[in-house]
Amino acid sequence: MTWLLRTMMREEFRVHASYSGKRMFLSFPLIIVVFAFAIAVTSGQLFAYTPLADAILLLHLSVFLYGMSVGAFGFLGRQYLERRNGTRNYIVTMPGILPMRLRATFLGMYVRDALFYIGLLLAPATVGLLLSVPITHFRITSIAILFAAALLSFLLGMSLSFFVSTLYMRSRAAFGVSVAAVSGLFAAAGALHVIPVSWILPGLAAHDRLPPFATDLPLALSYVALNLLIVAALAGGAVVLVPERFEPPATVAREELPRMDARFARFPRYGTLLAKELVDLKRSGTLVKMFFSFVAPLLFLSFTAWFVRYGLQVPVGFNTVFYAGMVGFFGVMLYNWLNNIDAVDYMATVPVSVPHVIRTKLLTFLLITSWITVGFVVGIAWLNGDTRLLWLAVPVALITSVYMVTMTAYLTGLRTNSFLFDPGVLARFTILSMLPDLCLTILSFTLDRQAVLAIMGILIVLAVLAGTTYMLLEGIEAKWRGSEFGD
Amino acid sequence: MPAIEAHRLLKRYGTTEALRGVDLTIEKGEFFGLFGPNGAGKTTMLRILTGQLRPTAGEARVLGVDVVREPLTVKSLVGIVPEVESPPSYLSAYEYLYFVGRVRRLGDVDARVGRWLEFFDLREERDTLCKDLSKGTRQKLMLAAAFIHDPQLVFLDEPFINLDPIYQRKLKDHLEEYVASGGTVFMASHLLDIAEKLCDHVAVIRDGALIATGTVEQIRGVESDLESAFLRLVGVRP
Repeated sequence: MTWLLRTMMREEFRVHASYSGKRMFLSFPLIIVVFAFAIAVTSGQLFAYTPLADAILLLHLSVFLYGMSVGAFGFLGRQYLERRNGTRNYIVTMPGILPMRLRATFLGMYVRDALFYIGLLLAPATVGLLLSVPITHFRITSIAILFAAALLSFLLGMSLSFFVSTLYMRSRAAFGVSVAAVSGLFAAAGALHVIPVSWILPGLAAHDRLPPFATDLPLALSYVALNLLIVAALAGGAVVLVPERFEPPATVAREELPRMDARFARFPRYGTLLAKELVDLKRSGTLVKMFFSFVAPLLFLSFTAWFVRYGLQVPVGFNTVFYAGMVGFFGVMLYNWLNNIDAVDYMATVPVSVPHVIRTKLLTFLLITSWITVGFVVGIAWLNGDTRLLWLAVPVALITSVYMVTMTAYLTGLRTNSFLFDPGVLARFTILSMLPDLCLTILSFTLDRQAVLAIMGILIVLAVLAGTTYMLLEGIEAKWRGSEFGD
Repeated sequence: MPAIEAHRLLKRYGTTEALRGVDLTIEKGEFFGLFGPNGAGKTTMLRILTGQLRPTAGEARVLGVDVVREPLTVKSLVGIVPEVESPPSYLSAYEYLYFVGRVRRLGDVDARVGRWLEFFDLREERDTLCKDLSKGTRQKLMLAAAFIHDPQLVFLDEPFINLDPIYQRKLKDHLEEYVASGGTVFMASHLLDIAEKLCDHVAVIRDGALIATGTVEQIRGVESDLESAFLRLVGVRP
């Protein structure tokens, strides 16, 4: 089993390195070390606004959610097993042709990712805290307790996600019931406050019984044992649920493409390709993935805003226009998703050029997926109770997202994932995105002090972005004419 | 005017020369077979001639059209079956052929799609998504897509792979009829026994260079079959 785990670890590393390059990938834990160190040395100010107990609660919820996002092997493995058309294949599919058990490879994925992501995030964060000890004088035992307790919540999230997603492979109804049960539990704790969160996260309960909060070691250990028991039960249950023979059900679809094609008749040059993009988006479930891909960076953004305001004590007004600019810049992810629905090698056999397909994807973004951007801006304004600037925020989000998507398309064509990690392309991308981002951020911060000046500035930036977008659009043909489909 | 004319075609991938100055002429109505060991340059040659890949140097015309300057015109004139059967995962069999018909701006798309679904007995798989089809069925779809616009010339990269003997027979018959009615076939393949029966002109490529061209009889020479001649030409057998 250890040889399988070792091989899977190597595979996981190579997969990640293929996206970003070895050096960049290996530098990620270092960034986490620096980030954790920075938070630790400014923790004095942070705790003045956010009590330690609240910060610990946030930490446990974050690592639990992180674990949830890592552990969805039922979905991930299923995708690998079904991906018979792709150019990549993974060890998890090998039981199909080798005397291996599918259950063993799924368990391997669980252990692999537990180790991998602990090494990628939790361990470097702990190292960052340890490095801060000479300045912060944190007790090493407190840091060790923090790491161990957070690890318990992370493993719980991973196991729960593993179990629920594997349940999906067996029964959609059972999956629905389990999702409803978990959601109900969290609603009872988070929204209704009927039960404390520590009832759901025994790792948090254990943490609450240990220094600096209390010194009830026996009770803490019993929570640790309970957490480990639940983790083992969920992971074990998930492994048992993995079917030894996986046969994805054949999907039947009746002539949806011609109907869509007729609907896009007003775009004579793009209609059929647009219709295909829409059918792809719907059937591949990519729209849902696009929606959720916004959540992680927005959470990070909210955390950063909180850190700047309370940690660094910089009196900055994070208003809806600021978030609109940020959400607009996340548009690059939507274009990336549009390029990752399916391989496009077959396009090489029909009279269609690469620039034509790029423009189709841009149109798809504009017509269909740009509404995700607007939806998020409206949602953020509503959640923050800051709807007064929506009239400005919506155009900011729309123009910046169209600019970002067009610029990404111009720089990376149909291979966003691989080209964006080319140092030359990345440098141009960084300059072209950071400059307007910086301008919009500064102008959004001055809105509350010098409204007229800030609005004029924002309108000028938007006009420049619109003009640049037009030039980039015109340049796509020349840049990508003659390039090839496929890898 | 020949169906295909290539002059000093050169293709480099980094420091590797996949094609080294290939000259080739194929007349209309020929059934041409290109053979060679793995990595000899067959697929590169086919992809350049169909406008999928730009040559590093040299020129080629397909049905009188320059493949470098007008790749889209070339693709609109010819039919192509690629090396890997890869129809779009999230379209059904019917929808894929409909898509190809619409992109090719054909007038009677439904009738043509119906005819080819009928030809390959794909009625039951008509509404199944391509990702759920077997390899053989996907290969049939790629073949149907290549012939849907009644092209004068088709480029086939290993067209018989994944087909069962029944459909291999059916495809052979169709290709013979197609050539008899004036069509031209450019086929890259490893299946020498099938090629020997179908092709009237063949070429052997090794390390990016054509080492023999001619009719099947000329290439076979004194050998008993094309396979023996091929093994001798590529240096496996003295």
